[in-house]
Amino acid sequence: MVDDSPQLHPIEKLLLKRLANSDHISIEKLVETSDLSVDQVRRGIEWLKFKKLIASIDKLYVVISLGSNGFEACKEGLPERRLVNAIKNGYTSVASVLKSGFLKPDEINAAIAIAKRNNWIQFTQLQNGDKKFLSTAEADFLSCEEKLLQKLVKLNSSVQVSELSSEEKQAFELLKRRPKYIVEDEYKYSEIILLESGRRLTHTMYTDTDNLERKLTPDMIVSGKWKDARFSSLDVMAHVPYLYAGRQHPLIDIIDEVKEIFFSMGFTEIDGPVIQAGFWNFDVLFIPQDHPAREMQDTFYIAGAKQDDFAHPDQIKKVSSIQEKGWNSDWNIEDARRLVLRTHTTSATIAYLANNEPQSARVFSIGRVFRNEKVSYKHLVEFNQVEGIVTDKRITLRDLMGLQKEFYSKLGIKKIKFWPTFFPYTEPSLQSMIYNCALDKWVEMGGMGIFRPEVTHPLGIKNPVLAWGVGIERIAMLRFGLNDVRDLYSNDLGWLRNLPKCQL
Amino acid sequence: MPVVNFTIERLYRFLPGIDLNRVLEVLPFIGLDIEGIDSEVLRIEYNPNRPDFASDYGIVRALRGLLGIEIGIPKLKIDKEINTYCVNVDKSVCDTRPYIVGLIAKNGKLDNSTIMQLAAMQDDLQNGIGRVRRKASIGIHNMDVIRFPVRYCTVNEDFSFIPLKQESRQEIKSILKTSNMGKEYSHILEGVKRYPIVVDSKDNVLAFPPIVNGNTTKISTDTTNLFIEITGNNIKTVEDILSILAITLYDAGFDLQNVTINNFDGNAYTPRMDVSYIDTNTSDINILLGLDVQVNEIVGCLQKSRLDATETRNKKIIQCVIPRYRIDILNYVDIAEEVAIGYGIYNFKPTIPYTTLVGQKNLTSTFINIVRNTMVGLQMLEIVNFSLVSKKIQYDLPGIREPEKVPSVIATKSREHEVLRDMLIPSLLKSLSRNIHEEYPQKLFEIGKIFKWGQNINEYWSLGAVVAHNAADYTEVKSIMQTLLKLSFGKSVTTKVASHPVFIHGRCASIIVGDESIGILGEITPFAIDNFKLRVPVAAFELNISKLLRN
Repeated sequence: MVDDSPQLHPIEKLLLKRLANSDHISIEKLVETSDLSVDQVRRGIEWLKFKKLIASIDKLYVVISLGSNGFEACKEGLPERRLVNAIKNGYTSVASVLKSGFLKPDEINAAIAIAKRNNWIQFTQLQNGDKKFLSTAEADFLSCEEKLLQKLVKLNSSVQVSELSSEEKQAFELLKRRPKYIVEDEYKYSEIILLESGRRLTHTMYTDTDNLERKLTPDMIVSGKWKDARFSSLDVMAHVPYLYAGRQHPLIDIIDEVKEIFFSMGFTEIDGPVIQAGFWNFDVLFIPQDHPAREMQDTFYIAGAKQDDFAHPDQIKKVSSIQEKGWNSDWNIEDARRLVLRTHTTSATIAYLANNEPQSARVFSIGRVFRNEKVSYKHLVEFNQVEGIVTDKRITLRDLMGLQKEFYSKLGIKKIKFWPTFFPYTEPSLQSMIYNCALDKWVEMGGMGIFRPEVTHPLGIKNPVLAWGVGIERIAMLRFGLNDVRDLYSNDLGWLRNLPKCQL
Repeated sequence: MPVVNFTIERLYRFLPGIDLNRVLEVLPFIGLDIEGIDSEVLRIEYNPNRPDFASDYGIVRALRGLLGIEIGIPKLKIDKEINTYCVNVDKSVCDTRPYIVGLIAKNGKLDNSTIMQLAAMQDDLQNGIGRVRRKASIGIHNMDVIRFPVRYCTVNEDFSFIPLKQESRQEIKSILKTSNMGKEYSHILEGVKRYPIVVDSKDNVLAFPPIVNGNTTKISTDTTNLFIEITGNNIKTVEDILSILAITLYDAGFDLQNVTINNFDGNAYTPRMDVSYIDTNTSDINILLGLDVQVNEIVGCLQKSRLDATETRNKKIIQCVIPRYRIDILNYVDIAEEVAIGYGIYNFKPTIPYTTLVGQKNLTSTFINIVRNTMVGLQMLEIVNFSLVSKKIQYDLPGIREPEKVPSVIATKSREHEVLRDMLIPSLLKSLSRNIHEEYPQKLFEIGKIFKWGQNINEYWSLGAVVAHNAADYTEVKSIMQTLLKLSFGKSVTTKVASHPVFIHGRCASIIVGDESIGILGEITPFAIDNFKLRVPVAAFELNISKLLRN
């Protein structure tokens, strides 16, 4: 036999019990008089409605409160009351009432009309044709309107129209005609009624013994007791806490993505030291020894550090000769010896070319580079750069542009264009501009070019070498919608714990 | 990067009827960046290899070419005057500032905007290729108050003259010590006994290079005739700069005449504006650029870049003509770039080169990723910090004594970046201290490079991890560490008693794999915890991954 009641949720049972006691009840009242939260009551109502055990009816009620003029009238008195007061004070003609100050000119006619209706005044015609007022005994009693106004002032809150007496209702109708005496507001609410099917269920519920299991235990499983057990339902919608999962840093996500793109384009990853002799960071790249970028203002020199065997004597000879010829000045080996923190990953890729002299190669390197700059929202002292190079017997500027388009396209950046620019070690050189939809403008992304023969020939490379580099943090800022590059290194757990892994 | 202020008024003056939007479109394709624009001025950033762009005249010259308004080598005419305007060079300058060249520019009109352009150009050239005046410095003088011949000689430090914008005479030694220019540039004359000056036959001082010019020859909007002199310690640089000034003043409407330099070892007539020639194989250009363009079209592209070329007997080879002021053109790759610019970079259609090469991961990266993935699997959150840190964070706050020799950098702009990290744990503690208002437990790790002095500075990959919460302890981090090594590399580990100032004494161990100690583990000392303003116990470990992977 199917017993329906175990399939009721504890919330549903509570609500049904409550409704059995008073079956026309608003949701607000239900919340007040049960131990449940508003959310729980609402949910329970929906489930019971769905199961056709209850129904809800939308109802409307009207409340009234004093308007600004009504408030005034309570203080000063209604115009018809003031008229009676004037008459009792001896102002018995229209003219004298006007002069008395009890009434304003525009109130007189209404006052007379209402006073007449209330049977508060009488006219007597004088011999000279003037009218004389007299007040009646009825005027000593409060009108129904006055009573209602007084009630509203005393309560100092709004009153439901449905709770007014018939006399008060009459007063309400009369006061409604006067401007700004009464303010009416409408409120909607839902009333819940217990249907017959629901009422039947409440009877069986009373006789139900509470022998529902809360937990399935290993003992119940092993002993076989589970065969006779029934389980209570759970509030499956209740809130539960989020967990703190382990996670890779978002910047590393970007680095992984960039690596995958390079692998998919046939590139092999290489690595290089972060500290190098100036020779590999500058001289080999045809940067003259007196170039401003080599100064301490822009480059980090390691204190008390020079390298003796930084390159093959043959490489040194060739590079120094190109330097002297190209820049028309003496070349000082001591400058080349000094250890620096690399300013670009180009020094890793160029060292690879020098030490392997490949005919054809595609390599890339991602790592930290350093610039002796002031930190700001767009500049860091230390950041990640990726540099890719391609060399082959036949490789052209158009191929370089094609590789760029492909690379950025795989990052999800489709709108890209190229402008000429300058680097001491490449010619021609281009910069890639990508379209930033959020800012609605073109921004510079990276630089690229074909290595000058002054760079490649001394290292024994005869084929053209394409090279390009881009800052990883720049890509990360675009992807994560950041405006300040420092946010990537702030390690704010609030950000790290909540940033979705998928950023597509 | 240097910036030129190009007023829109002058733009329309030089290129009447030009469409401003067309100019804005084209400028980037000449390699010029538009820094900013308002109703009056275009701020244009140029690259240091094109010092001829240091004034708006240079930019207009290039615009005319690319827009097809005026192509080929720019016109330039210099009247050859022998011995009319002479500079006599005294042998004594050889020891201080050996080289001087000069130029006469007559019958020009100098309005305020032109003077501003020339002044800005002078600054940029002196700072750029003049290497902050050491290699070259420039004097622009009112020729009408000069009585030629001019002498370039030396004087001693007591010599006095009226410097630019001053009212009374000042001695050289005083100028060097007290004036702004003196303080900034006197280092260039360090150690000399006699100081170079440029002086005329009336003993009026034109200049005391590289420090300051004389007041008598200063120019104004009334000046119509100019004498330009450039002194320096590099002959190529002074001549390069002179050639740029020559073409600029010619474009500004001056008539140019040369100057005779009477050196002790012979005479020279400056400026020498001879063009140079580079024979270039057009196939090489097509191959480099990926184009297939006819010879005459290549010549057309060069002309749009304000160069020229003539065909030779060999159909493939053209003789490229390079004007003197284009000091950036060294060989055929520079020619190729000029062809590309003349062709229009926007006209290049990208191509995808195909390859038989396959990509390969780097072994170290692969191992590091395994470590990273295992740590994530152990519910640890990865953070990233800088390698260049402050001594305060690396040593003072954790209570570690600074080693004798620490890898550090010279002349850093900030205390935050002084030394290279020799361990990661202090940075991890710093990251914990930034998050004291976030919920606990906080379990963080970082993989980064550490640096230690050996014979040279050695770089190692290191893994650092911290756990911070009410019950953080040794057992927990040891569990994490040994699980990491087991799961990542199948390695068993032992821990031996050790001590390190950042850990509580007696609660620290070294991590041994095989026979080698590759790391350290323990409960962080409350001294450090307190310094980092943390309020919960912290346990940590650090592993040298490079050492681990060597096995």
